[in-house]
Amino acid sequence: MIGELMDPRKTFGKAVTEIAKENKDVVVFSADSGKSSGFGDFIDQFPERYFECGIMEQGAVGMAAGMATAGKIPVFCAIAPFVTCRPYEMVRNDMGYMKQNVKLVGRNCGITYSDLGVTHQSLDDFGLMRLIPGMTILAPQDPVEIEEACKAMIEYEGPVYMRIGNPKIPVLFERKPFVIGKGDIIQDGEDVTIITTGSCTKDVIEANEILKEAGIKAKIIGLPTVLPLDEDLIRDAAAETKKVVTVEEHYINGGMGSMVTELLSDMDGVTVKRLGIPNIYATTSSNYQELLAYYDLDAKGIAKSVKAYLGK
Amino acid sequence: MNKEMLQKTANQIRKDIVTAVYSAKSGHPGGSLSAADVMTYLYFEEMNVDPKNPDKADRDRFVLSKGHNAPALYSCLAEKGYFPVEDLKTLRHTGSYLQGHPDMKHIPGVDMTSGSLGQGISAAVGMALSAKLFNEDYRVFTLLGDGEIQEGQVWEAAMFAGAKKLDNLIVIVDNNGLQIDGKIDDVCSPYPIIDKFAAFNFKVIAVEDGNDFDQLDKAFNEARLTDGQPVAIVMKTVKGKGVSFMEDQAGWHGKAPNDDEYKQAMEELEKAGEA
Ligand SMILES: Cc1ncc(C[n+]2csc(CCOP(=O)(O)OP(=O)(O)O)c2C)c(N)n1
Ligand SMILES: [Mg+2]
Repeated sequence: MIGELMDPRKTFGKAVTEIAKENKDVVVFSADSGKSSGFGDFIDQFPERYFECGIMEQGAVGMAAGMATAGKIPVFCAIAPFVTCRPYEMVRNDMGYMKQNVKLVGRNCGITYSDLGVTHQSLDDFGLMRLIPGMTILAPQDPVEIEEACKAMIEYEGPVYMRIGNPKIPVLFERKPFVIGKGDIIQDGEDVTIITTGSCTKDVIEANEILKEAGIKAKIIGLPTVLPLDEDLIRDAAAETKKVVTVEEHYINGGMGSMVTELLSDMDGVTVKRLGIPNIYATTSSNYQELLAYYDLDAKGIAKSVKAYLGK
Repeated sequence: MNKEMLQKTANQIRKDIVTAVYSAKSGHPGGSLSAADVMTYLYFEEMNVDPKNPDKADRDRFVLSKGHNAPALYSCLAEKGYFPVEDLKTLRHTGSYLQGHPDMKHIPGVDMTSGSLGQGISAAVGMALSAKLFNEDYRVFTLLGDGEIQEGQVWEAAMFAGAKKLDNLIVIVDNNGLQIDGKIDDVCSPYPIIDKFAAFNFKVIAVEDGNDFDQLDKAFNEARLTDGQPVAIVMKTVKGKGVSFMEDQAGWHGKAPNDDEYKQAMEELEKAGEA
């Protein structure tokens, strides 16, 4: 099931460049972050539609919003904390409140910048963005889904935040059109529902092999859209399995797990176990895989936590 | 320290920087090397600091606003005696206190946490303001990248420091001409840097070659004598200085050398140290 490894940033940059060939309204903003966001080809092919601002993320969001008022579709990508935490009020007012058609993309999300330290990790971006009314949050799970998510994000009219990682990720799924707000049942099962998003999905799929050996039949739901949540899908699954686990590379407080917990809070007999990073300043590591293991977010750790939750 | 000793120390710090980044397999050699001389000058000549007593109240402060130059800061601190030089090889390793960006809570001698560009200078202004308020005579030095000064926060801090006449604040701009996406004037020109700081009521000292200790010496002596306004030292440097294939190359902003490159870099620095 797990296929070719691809660089998420290059995949993203290429996808936007392809779309820009057809859609002349697409423009790109950079804050000294263009080439590292995969926009090398875009810069060569559409220099007049590429705006290098320098290191000024707050200004870039404002300028992108201004350009959106005139009908353009600005895509602004940089390191995740610098497009979310840093310019938060500009995102809230100029993109959210003003409903401007800006596509904000946070790369090297979660703990993928494992060794750069706390300032460069992004474990609160779902939490920040979900508080902005009218915001859409995408977290595609594999390279093909990143490509399709780019198409959907640019077709959709309104503010979007998309989150992508840094290390290469494998192809997991067949190509299909990306429908914003829709999740998928990756595998059916009745013992527990595991809800995953973004890069965690690969590890959940691997964890499932360990769970199968232990005789646990998990229903696995993939959420390439975190906001709006696919409420019907999640509520139906919870009604069936009663036990729900959420998995995300984000603080366990305030992110997708919190959203799911809030959604299910009125359902009798349903409990939710949230997996993610505890609400602390994360430790750092030279190696992303090591750090995932440290936080029990690799396949082994996820399987261990699910088993413990089910008392097995 | 005399000039020769400063040069020798700076050369050792360059070796430490390259070695730390090599053992981390990631990190930022370019800006660390352009700033190696001025940081050596600060720690070994200019600042009143004591590695045995890193928190002493009347010490001069240093804020590395361009936090990605952590390898340079850690190397200076280690050579000065704040912690073992050996530890530099643990940079960015699991469990090491030497994270990718400076962390004041875990690293002796680090006066301010940094990593998000533009933020350090505001903290430095706060420190300088505190000294004024409590009639303390320590000074505050902060080092910024020439790309970093594109951040609006830098100019908020500068406006405040100028308006409040914080003459105990010395802002140093490492004008190596490069940032990640290329030349600073192609990306989004911050020039004229000198006139900008002057317009914000700074005394501006331009240094033609910020990798030359005589010129640094002259600039910091002038800064010491400045009264009634903050100082900006705007110094031209060479990014990657001291390692031939890294010099003036944007590609070496944030990349570790491989085995062969490491060997060559160390040979070049070894040679320079003997000269
Ligand atoms: C707020 C923020 N935005 C972006 C970055 C990513 N970043 C790290 S270094 C750098 C370029 C810095 O260039 P410059 O200030 O000229 O530093 P130097 O050449 O001295 O290394 C960028 C954009 C960051 N650390 N913080
Ligand atoms: Mg520079």
